Amino acid sequence: MIKAEPRTILNFLHTYFDVVRDLFEFQSHDGLISKEAFDMIVKKHGQQNIVGKLKEYRIVRNIGSDYEMRDVYFKMMEFLLFEFKPLLPETIEKYKGAIAELYMKIRLGENHDRDILQERIKNISHQIREFVDLVERNAFRLLSETRDLKSNIERVEYRDKVHKASFWIEYYILPLNKILDVNHSESVTNKLMEVSEYANRKRLDFGDETIRTEFEKLYGQLIQTNQDLLRQSKILTNELLPLLERIRTESLILTGFIEFLRHPYRTQTPPLLKGSRTMAYSKDMLFKVKEFFEQFETQEAVYYEETDANFDKWIFDRELFLTQLNSELPVKDFFGWCSKMLLKDFSHIETEKFFAITGLLFDEALNVEFPKKDERTTIETLNARIDLPKIKIDNPVKI
Amino acid sequence: MVYPSHHKRIVEDLMGGKFILSNEDHYNSLKENDKFYQEFFKLSFDLDLILKPEFSYLLSKETQENFSRDVSIFVAILCYELDKDGQNFMEMLDYHEFNYEEIDRYFENSSFIDLIESNKALKDQDSRRTLINGMARRNIVHKSFEDRFVFTQAHRVFIEFAKELAMRKMAVSQPEESTGN
Repeated sequence: MIKAEPRTILNFLHTYFDVVRDLFEFQSHDGLISKEAFDMIVKKHGQQNIVGKLKEYRIVRNIGSDYEMRDVYFKMMEFLLFEFKPLLPETIEKYKGAIAELYMKIRLGENHDRDILQERIKNISHQIREFVDLVERNAFRLLSETRDLKSNIERVEYRDKVHKASFWIEYYILPLNKILDVNHSESVTNKLMEVSEYANRKRLDFGDETIRTEFEKLYGQLIQTNQDLLRQSKILTNELLPLLERIRTESLILTGFIEFLRHPYRTQTPPLLKGSRTMAYSKDMLFKVKEFFEQFETQEAVYYEETDANFDKWIFDRELFLTQLNSELPVKDFFGWCSKMLLKDFSHIETEKFFAITGLLFDEALNVEFPKKDERTTIETLNARIDLPKIKIDNPVKI
Repeated sequence: MVYPSHHKRIVEDLMGGKFILSNEDHYNSLKENDKFYQEFFKLSFDLDLILKPEFSYLLSKETQENFSRDVSIFVAILCYELDKDGQNFMEMLDYHEFNYEEIDRYFENSSFIDLIESNKALKDQDSRRTLINGMARRNIVHKSFEDRFVFTQAHRVFIEFAKELAMRKMAVSQPEESTGN
């Protein structure tokens, strides 16, 4: 029985985390914390006074004169630090026996005591959870080991790499693959599929509602479990089994990337410029505005080059034609007059030129009279025949 | 004062965080006026201009730049997966035209799935497209079609980063050998 409040223990762990981590790391390496090592670690951190609390909170216990971190804390530290010890697949395979036995008892005891059936379903669910957790941790550790081999930061010889890879494959990867291989009748995954199918049926047709709900929960858990295991199985097939083939090539760049991906948020990445907008009130805004306007102050020399291209240079001289028109007033047929003027200078009339002259009609000083009868005139230009009314331009009315 | 040709485009691109590539018109003007621009960016904005034979860009003082981290993770995972797939990842980055479907396949089947799913810029197909568009805006990739892209020479910044990191780590793990060399 621990007298301290749970929150007090967590606070203790938070305060003395460095000590606990060192103890954990020592035990991970040596399996036990020798008295000398224990004393050295607490002394290193200057925390000799916490030995009593470590025992009181049941974080460590005595094994003879040495120490051992209790399993629950050891596992928590493994999880927090993501430093899992690789487990031999034999350790994982024991779950097959436990799951198979519970499954058999559930099936045989369907019609017996309701409470024990409910308890067995809860237990099988617990075993499955532990099993998946162990598989995930082992796969993670194996990935980490094999990435080390691929990265080869210590630049060990190829022969040594093959030796290490063969060891991992023979004792860890192949047996784990056997456990996860759904097509293998003896695999744990295969057994889980069987349990899943059974739970699916029972969640629908079991007589007791409470048990139906338990089966429903178990089935939901198994769907997720099968997805998780499939993912781990894929990793094994794609990444761990072809390990020997994969370590044949080596690249400094890939070593860098693997090392980076180990702690992507702790490594400084290439310093690129962050594109930003300047706010109107920022202190360097004046400089930026000046710089922006300065670029328009530079006037580049503009060169005009005459070309020999043959094009019509006729430009309508409004003043000239207006004077001419005024001198000939009154004109009975304005459009006829326009055509006559053009024919003086050119052998034919171009539509554009004709319309340019007709623009005189809008001069406000002219006294324009529209015909009372339907009198019309026809002008022929190069590409059109234009039918127009005969418009009379009279002398301006004197006021 | 007369500024070098393409001045506005050079400043706008570099200040927008864009890489200027050697095959672009304004790269030559930047290269010819290297000294002027080194001084210009240093004095005006306290930024360092990096001019390489294949590209040029500005260095940020800000180390907490998420975009650089996201692209580094993207390129690192892609290289790892290409290598796992038996491809020569350097050749692929130099010449291969990637399509979104291919990228999704590599990322969805990656053993780095936990890292991918926890990164906002990589977690799903849409996020990855947004990241690739961001890379296109900065000239790290060139989008040949809506769903296809090739890496530009600017990807070498990340390759150099990986090389340097590996060298640093190796120097730490083999101090005697590296000092001996």
